[in-house]
Amino acid sequence: MPDGCSIRAIWILNSLDAVVFSRRFPVVEKRWRGACKESSTDGGDLNDTVFPLLPSDSELAAAFVDRKRREGSIRGCGIRVSQSAKGSDSWVDDPITRHIIGIYINKEEEGDDNTNNNLLWPLVLHRKGHFSILVLPLAEPRHLKAYARLCNRSDCGNAVGVEDSISSILLDLPSITGAFMAAHAIGDIITGDVVEPEVVVNASPSVGGLLDSLTGSIGISSISSRAKPVAAPVATSSPSSSAVIGTVTSDANKTGSRPFDKDTLRTFISSSMPFGTLLDLSFPNIISIKTNGFASSDLPPSDLKQPAWKPYLYKGRQRILFSIHETVHAAMYDRDEIPDSISICGQINCRAELEGLPDVSFPLIGLNTDKIEVLSFHPCAQVPEHGVDKQAVMFSPPLGNFTLMRYQAVCGVGPPIKGFYQLSMVSEDKGDFLFKLRLMDGYKSPLTMEFCTVTMPFPRRRVVSFDGTPSVGIVSTTEHSVEWKIIMGGRGLSGKSIEATFSGKVQFAPWKPQTLPSSSSTFGSITDEDSDIETDGNNNSMVNVEEFLMEKMNKDLHPADLEDPFCWHAFNYAKVSFKIIGASLSGMSIDMKSLSIYPAVKAPVESSTQVTSGDYILWNTLGRCPAAIAATKV
Amino acid sequence: MTDKPPEPSPSPSPPPPLKPLSLQDWESLIDDFQHGGARRDRWTSAHPILIDQALSSLNKRDFPLKLQLIVFLEEFSDPLFTSDPDSLPKTLHRLIETLRALIQTPADGVHVTFALKEQMMLSVTAIVIAADYMLDGLVELLLTVINRPNHGFDRQARALACECLRELEKSYPCLLSDIGGHLWSLCQSERTHAAQSYILLFTTVVHNIVAKKLSVSILNTTVPLVPFSAPQVLVNSSGKESSGGLNYKELRRAMSFLLEWPQVLTPCGMVEFLALIMPVAMALELQASMLKVQFFGMIYSSDPLLCHVVLTMYPPFLDAFDGQEGRIASRLMLLSRETQHHLVFRLLGLHWLLGFSELVLRREVRKLKAIVDMGLRFYPSVFDPLALKALKLDLLAFCSICVDMLKLEGASGEDTGNDKLVVKVFQDGLVSVSAFKWLPPSSMETAVAFRTLHRFLIGASSHSDNDPSTTRSLMDSTTFTSIQGMLVDLMLECRRLVPVIVALTDRLFGCPKHHWLGERLLQSFDQHLLPKVKLDYTLVSCFPIFDKIAESDTIPPRGLLELLTKFMAFLVVKHGPYTGLRSWSQGSRVLGICRTFLMHHHSSRLFLRLSRLFAFTCLYFPDLEVRDNARIYLRLLICVPGKKLRDMLNLGEELGISPSALPSFNIQSPMSADNIKKSRNISSYIHLERVIPLLVKQFWSLSLSSFGFGNNDSGYLEGIRDSEPIIEETETDSSSNIYISPEAERIDRPQEPLRVMDAKISEILVALRMHFSCIPDFRHMPGLKVRISCSLRFESDTLSRIWGLDSPTGVLGELDALPALYATVLNFSSSAPYGSIASYHIPFLLGEPSRKTDISDQAASLAIVPVENGSGEEESLRAPVMIELEPREPTPGLIDVSIETNAENGHIIRGRLHSITIGIEDMFLKAVVPPGIPEEASPGYYLDLFSALWEACGNSNTGRETFPLKGGKGVAAIAGTRSVKLLEVPSSSVIQATERYLAPFVVSVLGEPLVSLVRDGGIIRDIIWKDEASDYALDITSSGTDFDRGPLPLTYTDDVDEMDSLVNIRKKNVGCFLILIFLPPRFHLLFQMEVCDVSTLVRIRTDHWPCLAYTDDYLEALFLA
Repeated sequence: MPDGCSIRAIWILNSLDAVVFSRRFPVVEKRWRGACKESSTDGGDLNDTVFPLLPSDSELAAAFVDRKRREGSIRGCGIRVSQSAKGSDSWVDDPITRHIIGIYINKEEEGDDNTNNNLLWPLVLHRKGHFSILVLPLAEPRHLKAYARLCNRSDCGNAVGVEDSISSILLDLPSITGAFMAAHAIGDIITGDVVEPEVVVNASPSVGGLLDSLTGSIGISSISSRAKPVAAPVATSSPSSSAVIGTVTSDANKTGSRPFDKDTLRTFISSSMPFGTLLDLSFPNIISIKTNGFASSDLPPSDLKQPAWKPYLYKGRQRILFSIHETVHAAMYDRDEIPDSISICGQINCRAELEGLPDVSFPLIGLNTDKIEVLSFHPCAQVPEHGVDKQAVMFSPPLGNFTLMRYQAVCGVGPPIKGFYQLSMVSEDKGDFLFKLRLMDGYKSPLTMEFCTVTMPFPRRRVVSFDGTPSVGIVSTTEHSVEWKIIMGGRGLSGKSIEATFSGKVQFAPWKPQTLPSSSSTFGSITDEDSDIETDGNNNSMVNVEEFLMEKMNKDLHPADLEDPFCWHAFNYAKVSFKIIGASLSGMSIDMKSLSIYPAVKAPVESSTQVTSGDYILWNTLGRCPAAIAATKV
Repeated sequence: MTDKPPEPSPSPSPPPPLKPLSLQDWESLIDDFQHGGARRDRWTSAHPILIDQALSSLNKRDFPLKLQLIVFLEEFSDPLFTSDPDSLPKTLHRLIETLRALIQTPADGVHVTFALKEQMMLSVTAIVIAADYMLDGLVELLLTVINRPNHGFDRQARALACECLRELEKSYPCLLSDIGGHLWSLCQSERTHAAQSYILLFTTVVHNIVAKKLSVSILNTTVPLVPFSAPQVLVNSSGKESSGGLNYKELRRAMSFLLEWPQVLTPCGMVEFLALIMPVAMALELQASMLKVQFFGMIYSSDPLLCHVVLTMYPPFLDAFDGQEGRIASRLMLLSRETQHHLVFRLLGLHWLLGFSELVLRREVRKLKAIVDMGLRFYPSVFDPLALKALKLDLLAFCSICVDMLKLEGASGEDTGNDKLVVKVFQDGLVSVSAFKWLPPSSMETAVAFRTLHRFLIGASSHSDNDPSTTRSLMDSTTFTSIQGMLVDLMLECRRLVPVIVALTDRLFGCPKHHWLGERLLQSFDQHLLPKVKLDYTLVSCFPIFDKIAESDTIPPRGLLELLTKFMAFLVVKHGPYTGLRSWSQGSRVLGICRTFLMHHHSSRLFLRLSRLFAFTCLYFPDLEVRDNARIYLRLLICVPGKKLRDMLNLGEELGISPSALPSFNIQSPMSADNIKKSRNISSYIHLERVIPLLVKQFWSLSLSSFGFGNNDSGYLEGIRDSEPIIEETETDSSSNIYISPEAERIDRPQEPLRVMDAKISEILVALRMHFSCIPDFRHMPGLKVRISCSLRFESDTLSRIWGLDSPTGVLGELDALPALYATVLNFSSSAPYGSIASYHIPFLLGEPSRKTDISDQAASLAIVPVENGSGEEESLRAPVMIELEPREPTPGLIDVSIETNAENGHIIRGRLHSITIGIEDMFLKAVVPPGIPEEASPGYYLDLFSALWEACGNSNTGRETFPLKGGKGVAAIAGTRSVKLLEVPSSSVIQATERYLAPFVVSVLGEPLVSLVRDGGIIRDIIWKDEASDYALDITSSGTDFDRGPLPLTYTDDVDEMDSLVNIRKKNVGCFLILIFLPPRFHLLFQMEVCDVSTLVRIRTDHWPCLAYTDDYLEALFLA
């Protein structure tokens, strides 16, 4: 029986590693057992083919804690390090093992320790808030065996591009991908931040999501599904929920975790994955069905099938809203040997309040240039087999806000903020800095910069005092940063460029070596060697106070996480945050006149654009900086 | 699978004795089940009752926990329902009746909700499936639910009922095959959002029909939908009777219907749909391009699931996707760039790309070109998370492998450029984590960088193939060369990375396949790193890698040893007041590396350079401990054969003793009573023997215990100051008092030393003063030492027998088969006044092989071990032992010897050995020549000294004089005694014996005949030869006693006989030996041997009269034996 995405069980653990929620799917489990039986009759010795049954909550929690101890953290190392043990995830030497984990179940009742056979894999781990969500998708026994071989191999780690690598296992298992999707959906539900893409209309507040589109027409505008615990609408309607809330709170008292609405979660699980097989992960849809149900007046379309992702049809005043959001990431070096890198991630969010099941199509103007590369479309868009034709995009809009398209681009007009940042340590605790920035150079109206702030973070030093006045804007300091507001809200910068300079001095509290938490010492006991070397080095080579300070401070630098791009703390930089409205920087825009709807209706089209800063970093020109060779476009 | 007609619903059985559970009870019960373990086990016996209570609760109208309860029953259906197989059918029927009643009750929104109905349907179906007890009643009930297409408000319930039926169909394939026609028409008419479930249900039915190759018609609606009964094919369970084959036409029609509607499916539904469709399409031989047109666009979807599901289409429809590899790869690469996605999906995208490339690779290498051409786009960007960077670097590594493969295939034109390209790709890729060069070695950047390095290093060689050529070609590759160059540079620039590089080599060494790669790396470090390192204190950071190099026996130790020797020299030179600790630490670590050498190489390979290094260290290194260790290592290197040495050094490691510490001399095992017994007669097989046996066999000693030893200033005058000689003299101890001589009495009296003297006497005094000033005062400084060389040996057989040592089996050399003693310590004690005797350490000693026992016994009985007899091998079986005495008085004595040693099995052997006899001749030393006298003048000096002493011991004049000793604190006086001894032996034997035993002490030979006899022998050399007898007579009888003219003025031995004999002898006088013997600590024994043809007269003078007693015996043994 071919299997799409089936899930054997779900566990949610709180920050104390206690199971606060669990759900098992006996039908999938039965299928798993059948497959195990089959694989054992297919051949292979018996030892390999006995697989553990689903663990109970306490067994799972114990095994999870055990793995955490073995791997050093909840996620684990991901990369094979000297502490990695054979049989553990990090032995596989792949960062994905921080997300797809294997644990060893110790059966409490069983005396014999057949350690080979109690591996539970692939267990998808998603961390959300202080919860760890574990989803166990259905795989085939051969996959499990292949993974067990990978993490027990005696050699030096696999080469790339060979058979039976973790990559080919993952490619073989869509259920893992599905399990991640489920885990993320669950994570959003329990922490209550199911966010729909933002659609802004002409600087007016954001337009709400699906519930708005259902309720807005009848005037209940206060219910907005955005950034609000989703439990709220459910609690009012479901009669049984009041009783359940009692159990949740008593549970919460026991575990000390933040309570989440288990009833909502149960509802979601039984609708989105009945029997453990994924059907639909759209929480707004599911919860609307559960909340509102259907009336006999909700008639299906006469000639078409109503898509499963659009259980309701819109009724009311028709309009289409587009919102282009661009995020600018930049690494500004101001050096000859390293070119600055600026990239834009953009997306087109849409809200189509249209009756029936119409198709919408419009040409993408910006796509004709070489600067923009489409990353992906919403599943509702019909992408022809041969790919994007860069001329038009056609889609059948779902309800509520959705992201129609994502793209990547290079900056069409040049960086919105140019210039440099220099910080020079004149002594161990004193630094001189200088900014020379040019904002909106070459930018014409209607591009408007709403605000612009430059922050110098010093996460490892405490700012004691500060001295200096910028040419424009105001400066404030916190304990670990200096913040320079160049353009403040209300007075946007439009149609002209300005230059802003700022030089000053900053005084830090004396450097105190921090004792690292013990967990970091698992990364190597090489430090004692170092002490000998460092003292050697100091005598002759350290001429530069800055370098000396670097050496000193780097010694107790906490290693970066694999989720970080690099060790932020090791660098001096200034981070710029800004917002520009009026037009996109990539040149992407929507030709509203060319938009067509079939079957034709008259609906006003509105669009807006906003550009915000992502990681917009000015690296200290006098210090070290991370860099990368630019990936060339083919 | 059983199928029973639905029984009429039995009346609810009366509740069992268990009291009805309250809401709280149910909650804690559910909690207990989920928790598992003991908490669940306590409910085991109550299972049937629980089900009963649960069912009745569900039947209650207002039970608030119904939803949780039904989910609970579903989740734990396995233990709950299967525990009682007998009542299972009844229970399940009750359950279905409950469901039926619920479904038929119209929803009121309070107690009966759609949510409850839907959950009940799902759970009951799940329970039935899990219990593997098919019930037609359930199917029928569900069919009635779905049989109302487009019905308004229960559309979600209908959708879920479809899912229930689909799940049943999945579990019991072809269950619904007979009613396929009805399902199809339902599917066609349904237009609400529930259509997806209808489509999926019908697709599943079609799929199963195709999979089971049933020849049913799916257009046929003759079988009514309800009442339902399972089809024959399912009941017969074989399903083989359908020989008609597939109804292709109908099925194709169904497929084309189904392929019309994918856009109504949710992404998850699409995954299900495709998984069902693909096998059907293959079985029906549909055109794959049709599927491709329909579904390939999904790869551009922002839903990762859709993207993935397109990829799953690739393997079954390879041909349809031919030429699309580049597009797929570029799409997956874009997926990894979508910063809007959660990191894990970006990682998954890269993994799919890798897995996909592997698929392509396995199919056709050429196809990879499209992917490789994209290689440059895989460079990580600055803000990519490290995990992503790591995977992108993997991709770059993969591309570099593909470049090689394409080259082999001849697919790419330029050959030379490729290698450079790979190196460039590698270096450029590494830029994104380049911070590893200055961050702490524990940083994640370092981990990622070295992971990549490893990937590039091992390249295409997998661990599965056994072909060594891959590895070899790997080693010749440009990549390998550039990586090893990079590593060398890294070590030179970033010292902190050395341990990380060591870890990398360790990783390679741990791998059976890439062991050689690690070996090769180390070799290249040896070649390229060693010449470049700076010789200063920072060198210590390279020691971990040096240690690795030392471990590898494929690398000639020469380079490293030379470097280390230079480094030791550097440490010695740089040593100053502030570097003490550093010298110690670094010196010890150098020795640690040397120890590694000793453990992993054959001694012969290292011997020369290592011994030089050790010797240099012993001699010049400023730190004592390092010197000591070096000395021990040197001795080990010289004495202990290779295998034993390695075993010995290794033992420490097993015990966890730090490598730089001394070898494992500190194994302690408690001394058991058994061991004590064994140790008792240890002297019978462990022998310590003198190398040169004593002339005087019988041992006797003057037991003058009232004086001599035990009194720390025996025979000495202690001088405090020169100006207070009186006090010195009053301190003359008892031993001096026993010299019953007038001179001594006179000394006791405070009296001015004689100041007025003639020129001759003053000459004598000058000579004596000079002589005594060279004699160290043992109370204040190390005295003169007497060395007795001995040798230690033991009998292997006996030792092994007694201590139960297993001779190691399977050893190569004969030496290895012998037992050994480790860390032997010999302790000496004596009742004779020899001062404290230092113990002697023998690090290692092999036993004597058994076949030589006879010879050994013989040798032992003879107590003579001729040195020249011992072959090299025998030498190694005897440890030379040097006993150093610092006699307080020159007297024979016995030295007691005790041994403490370790056997190979860790036993400590303790015991006493036979004592060593010390004779008077052991005390014979040459007098010290003052430092001012040149070497060529020493014979003259000795003669002068002889004359002076002769005079002083014969004449009382000097008795009053005191002579300061070296160190200036003590003074000595001379109290002389004379004696004679006539030896009736021919001159030839006298000369022979003298040459053999006394040659070093002869200071002059007088008389032409004797000179001519002795001079040519060459044994006695560097002395004053005087041909004329008259000269010597004048010289030696400077006091005026001329023996030519009159009787000798002997003090004690004046008797006629002697006089006569003297006269007789005189006639045939051949010549005269003058012999000066120094007796430590400060005494002298002078012989004037007047050699005649048949007898010899020995005139004896000494300033230590007790020695005369032994002298007599000695002379007799010397000449008469």
